[in-house]
Amino acid sequence: MSVLDINNVTKRFSTTTAVDEFNLTVGDGELVCLLGPSGSGKSTLLRMIGGFETPTSGHVTIDGEDVTRVPPEKRPTGMVFQSHALWTHMNVFKNLAFGLKLRRLPEAEIRRKVEAVLELVGLGGFGHRATNQLSGGQQQRVALARSLVLEPKILLLDEPFASLDQHLRERLREEVRDIQQRLKITTLFVTHGQDEALSMADRIVVMRDGRMEQVAAPDVLYREPQTPFVAGFIGTMNLIEGNVSGGQFSRAGFSQPLPIADGPAVLAVRPEALSIQPSSNVDGPRIHRVTDYGAHAIIDLELPDGFRLKATVRDARAWTNVRAATLTPQAFAAYRDNAVVYRSGTSA
Amino acid sequence: MSLTPANDIVGKNNGRGLTGLLLVAIPVFLVGWMIIWPIISAIGRTIWLPNEGGGRSFSLETYGFFFTDQYSLNNLGVTLWTTGVCAVLLVLICLPIALYLRFAKGRLAAYVQGLAIFPMFVPSIILSYAIIRVLGPNGTVDLLLNAMHLPKIRSPYLTPWGPVIGLVWDNIPLTVLILLSGLGNVSNQSIEAARDVGAGRLAVLWHIILPRISNSILVAVSFTVLGIFSAFTLPYVLGPAAPEMMGPFMQRTFRDLNDPTNAITQAVIAFCFCIVFGLFYVRSVAKNRSA
Repeated sequence: MSVLDINNVTKRFSTTTAVDEFNLTVGDGELVCLLGPSGSGKSTLLRMIGGFETPTSGHVTIDGEDVTRVPPEKRPTGMVFQSHALWTHMNVFKNLAFGLKLRRLPEAEIRRKVEAVLELVGLGGFGHRATNQLSGGQQQRVALARSLVLEPKILLLDEPFASLDQHLRERLREEVRDIQQRLKITTLFVTHGQDEALSMADRIVVMRDGRMEQVAAPDVLYREPQTPFVAGFIGTMNLIEGNVSGGQFSRAGFSQPLPIADGPAVLAVRPEALSIQPSSNVDGPRIHRVTDYGAHAIIDLELPDGFRLKATVRDARAWTNVRAATLTPQAFAAYRDNAVVYRSGTSA
Repeated sequence: MSLTPANDIVGKNNGRGLTGLLLVAIPVFLVGWMIIWPIISAIGRTIWLPNEGGGRSFSLETYGFFFTDQYSLNNLGVTLWTTGVCAVLLVLICLPIALYLRFAKGRLAAYVQGLAIFPMFVPSIILSYAIIRVLGPNGTVDLLLNAMHLPKIRSPYLTPWGPVIGLVWDNIPLTVLILLSGLGNVSNQSIEAARDVGAGRLAVLWHIILPRISNSILVAVSFTVLGIFSAFTLPYVLGPAAPEMMGPFMQRTFRDLNDPTNAITQAVIAFCFCIVFGLFYVRSVAKNRSA
């Protein structure tokens, strides 16, 4: 059953279109990530769901009720902001109790709910602390608890870990996912970090210039990107622009059978799907650099026209004195006019 | 490997301390010479009075006179009343203006800001005559009412409300600027977070904005109170002859009555009231620093 329906939503700011005819349905208990580069409209979309922006056109429906013009204070949503946005003149308990007090709940119930949600986010006993005495991670947990204590139908997270260091981000990411699954709360999560999206989401919406490029489960998105943009945005991808002639894709020193009509095309191959063999032909792809990561190595290759691509190998030592290589994509996709026209295997 | 002490790199602590002291020496000397010393001297001259033997002795006679003289008490009363009314009106008028300027966008907000700051550039004497020309007897308002065959208004000119109108108008820029700077510390996201948990506009104002700008309100009130308590031009030109505010009262006692000792006593009493608000200001600045 869908909890959130976004129908043809558009948002314009004077001459700029931030979100353009966007459609999305989110199911009960689902965690959907809005992923895209800066300026792709993901935060604006989240703010429209939260009621902080009003769509120029289109409708937002929550549990079957049209909330397009409903102010944030009357929506069944809870938002966690990037900057935590804690009220520094209140301690942790008061930050969490504020919303409950506005709902005129009895004092004992407020205390019970606040303590329960503080336990949930691992901050039991922190109620009396001033918010500026907390670390960045603790502040973000308080911000999450402040939203959760009101038991919203939809939890909205606007790049909540952006200001935290990598280690803390990874830990909080797992904690948020655990809490979300335990409470089975429908969640929309804005991020521009693909790792975050791939590790947390049930589905990922890739956005670009206010439009949806693709929506799919993380593994599908990784293996079957529908556009070159998604292919390039999710994970590392070699996007080789070339020409197809007589069923053969080619670009300076590199060719690959490709059974599509003649014309320009983009071949997308993941580094791990690009099989390479040492070669003595220095007129073909040459090895530019070998970077050893221990468990695997990345080989940077250069085509005769200067185009660079990457391949993953297991053992860097086997490649230390190799100058050239032949390339054989094991799995790839071909794109033309921004759409996939051919796919071989399922890792591109 | 030998380590170089940080002091060797950035300079000796003692040298830096001396430079710091030299930098603040001139303003500290000026404050001591032109403010602290006159205060001490004034207090001394009002409690160390000439006696019959031709010498000086300790006496609180001038203070006794001030606090037993009904006219002096009425003057102090009207000064406190004017200051209190002005402070309340300024907060009530300037807070909505500052809130509007903080949250509104666009050209209209820029015009409102220009209008709010404009009184800062108008000298008090011009403002006084402008008020007389507009609100005084046979002023613009009277002429307009007369043209519409309506009765005249009871002019605030030469009543306690005359200085109130002038002082409020005159102090709007400073109050708006102080409140605006306080509101600058209230982030949009903290307001949005409050709305998100269910707070309407009034709840946001009461529970989120006002507590966060309470220091700024205190500073604004302290500044305006300090200015209004010792105001001279506007109360002198627009206010009643009796009772009169402390500024004109001191000037008249000093010049017309040629009684410097009582004039200084009035100044010390005015100073004692002002110092309370001065301490509020210092406390809030210290609180901000420690936060």
